Amino acid sequence: MSATVAPDKILKELAELWVDTAKQGQAEGGAGVLRACSMTLLVLAEESEDSQGLGETIAALMPEHPARAIVVRMSGPGERSLTERVYSQCWMPFGQRKQICCEQVEITVSDAALADLPSVVLPLAVPDLPLILWCRSPRLAAMPEFLPIAAMAQKVVLDSGPMKDPAAALKLMAALNARAVLLGDLSWTRLTRWREMLAQVFENQQNLAQLERIFEVKLERGEGFEVSALYMAAWLTDCLTDAGVPDVSFGVDPAPEGVSIRVQLAGDGFALELARREDRMVVTVNGVSQCTSLSQPTDYLLMREELGIVRRDPVFERALTGAAALALPSEGK
Amino acid sequence: MPIENPFQDPLRFERRVPECAVVIFGANGDLTKRKLIPALYRLAYDRRLSAGFAIVGISRTPMTDDAFREKMLEAVKQFSEDTTFDADVWSGFAKGLFYVAGDIADAALYRSIGEKLAQIEASQHTGGNVLFYLSTQPSQYAQAAQGLGAAGLGKGNGWRRLVVEKPFGHDLESARELSGRLHESFDESEVYRIDHYLGKETVQNILAFRFGNGIFEPLWNRRYVNNVQITGAESIGVEGRGAYYQEAGALDDMIQNHLLQVMATIAMEPSASFRANSVRDERSKLLRSIRPMTPDEVRRNTVPGQYGPARIGGQDVPGFRQEQGVDPQSQTNTYAAVTLFVDNWRWAGVPFYVRTGKRLAKRVTEIAIQFNPAPLHIFDQEGLDSAPNLLIVRIQPEEGISLKFLSKRPGSGMTLRPVSMDFNYGSSFGERSPSAYETLLLDAIIGDATLYTRQDMVEASWSVVEPIQNVWRETKSDFPNYESGTWGPAASDEMLARHGHAWRKP
Repeated sequence: MSATVAPDKILKELAELWVDTAKQGQAEGGAGVLRACSMTLLVLAEESEDSQGLGETIAALMPEHPARAIVVRMSGPGERSLTERVYSQCWMPFGQRKQICCEQVEITVSDAALADLPSVVLPLAVPDLPLILWCRSPRLAAMPEFLPIAAMAQKVVLDSGPMKDPAAALKLMAALNARAVLLGDLSWTRLTRWREMLAQVFENQQNLAQLERIFEVKLERGEGFEVSALYMAAWLTDCLTDAGVPDVSFGVDPAPEGVSIRVQLAGDGFALELARREDRMVVTVNGVSQCTSLSQPTDYLLMREELGIVRRDPVFERALTGAAALALPSEGK
Repeated sequence: MPIENPFQDPLRFERRVPECAVVIFGANGDLTKRKLIPALYRLAYDRRLSAGFAIVGISRTPMTDDAFREKMLEAVKQFSEDTTFDADVWSGFAKGLFYVAGDIADAALYRSIGEKLAQIEASQHTGGNVLFYLSTQPSQYAQAAQGLGAAGLGKGNGWRRLVVEKPFGHDLESARELSGRLHESFDESEVYRIDHYLGKETVQNILAFRFGNGIFEPLWNRRYVNNVQITGAESIGVEGRGAYYQEAGALDDMIQNHLLQVMATIAMEPSASFRANSVRDERSKLLRSIRPMTPDEVRRNTVPGQYGPARIGGQDVPGFRQEQGVDPQSQTNTYAAVTLFVDNWRWAGVPFYVRTGKRLAKRVTEIAIQFNPAPLHIFDQEGLDSAPNLLIVRIQPEEGISLKFLSKRPGSGMTLRPVSMDFNYGSSFGERSPSAYETLLLDAIIGDATLYTRQDMVEASWSVVEPIQNVWRETKSDFPNYESGTWGPAASDEMLARHGHAWRKP
């Protein structure tokens, strides 16, 4: 197995790939290919992960966030190895003759060669466009090699959901945030539609007038949603404090099986509940329910949202600080 | 009570939609079924509407709320092109659908509307916010607005807005008269004149393209731009709307509103901000800068047309005069081409060619900005002038932007050939684009009038079009003057040839 990868060789292969794709398109009577790129997307995943599923997720992201995708598959311990292959992802928009293509590079790396990764990735990044790092491996996120890799990126996206220890996950997030890295956590992204629906309820002036009567917030969280529940609690605390409703009791309890999160706000003459029912969100205000579509938060949907935000996200940063404080009360600020 | 909603997160959430009732006059009509209700359902599907959202359909046909809901359910199923039907979402949406029957001329109708709105305000907590949508015959606009005003519905606990569909009058005087009558019940700031072209993603993208980038602005003037061609072509005929179309014609139906608004968006000065009035001020200023034509100029710089019969794709298609409901001697223009000049420092002397027509070679709406050739030809190659640099903004069917320039042909020798660099909106961003009606309805509910037409813009457009109307009305044209399936009358090509230009064939 090879132990070196030459970025120049990869770039040459990418260029040849475009020539081949264009020739093929013309030979088939098509109108050629169109290359689209808005970022470099660096994906770090374990080799044991379902490569087809990951490939499909990246392919689904491309139409909205065309990118040069660099997928790094980590082969784990063992001898030092580093290999690569290049290929393209193409799609033909409905009713159109022109093929749209994005390029992909796949690099396989053993743990022993992880330290070499930045020197390979940096030359492969598309100039003048942001580099977004999506780390799918909780194992790597905890390794010391992770920080130099993260330092290459404008934004780092992690998922604290699968991390075993919520407190440690939030500690890692807070540490990355303190390094002034733009940060995204899919555990927070999973809450967007919930938070949006809750906000929507208070767009109604009558409901907004009930806000100061709220005295209790109850959260139920399922397995894997521990960090999300902490984020939700921190965010609600921030919002209610901003609204001048500081004395609210919070309860976070395990949810019955099959429930991811349930949010209840209660006050004098006011009750609000948000709950998921399969692919729908049910919002109940004072006993009156409203139902809207709420797709299951797939990696594609979550990343689609995160890739659209390459700037500071003050609401998340504040919630992260609050959630870390809730998870690690002894560490203080 | 908190004044602001503390839960909002503008970075991640869609725009806020306040609670309100939408009252649709003409609820039994085509526009309601094909566009408005499917657009509102899609907004509900996308969680854009507030919990207390309600729709009140108004029409003459007696109907219960349930019967109206049933009818609108059929409309949503039939006309929601790219939206999955979700029974639960529909069920929540349908609970907010109500119906009131009555005659627009009858004061009793407005009392019934008032009672219904009071009930809705109490049950749905709409805060008294109401958007009235006039989807009726244009002749009923003023009557409906006045009826609402007389019943005291022009004002209420919350905001009141009135959406009006085109045409906004049929000439300058009638536009002013209509406006005056609307203003008896609604302030200008409450009147939303809808032009669905402005709701199209690419038309909005023109603003992003021009004012979000620094590289185009230096080229966007008479020094670099040779001419601008705006085309709004349809391949179909009047499709059974002959009787209506006979009264309007291509000039009034397309150029006076849609294409002049597109032209204003392409040629306007940068606005100081992206606030509604700031953008609309600049559009209006541009429209007022278009040089009105004298009768002689109209004869030189405009071409009316009407399609004749032809055989297209092995099928015989009728001429306009053979269409159902059309006078066999009709003088209605189904094609209109005009050369306009903008009298300001940026555009002085640059011709803006605007054309529209039915039964043209293909369905396409686009703007082509042709740049001046290189000042010196250093390449010894004939014909380079016939391949000018072009920036093409396509509005439909494939929304996008293309830049055409010369490039060296690979191989030995220096041979140049034109190449095209394309940005395709739908494919570069694969996400579904909202329909124009979704965008515009949402804007009206939110109170963002940026994409709506203000009265001074309507008047400025009529000031451009009316002199043309006058000459065309007085002149008997030798119609039909173009075959269906072609790019229009030969006189239109000659009009451009007089300026040393030629129409693009998109």
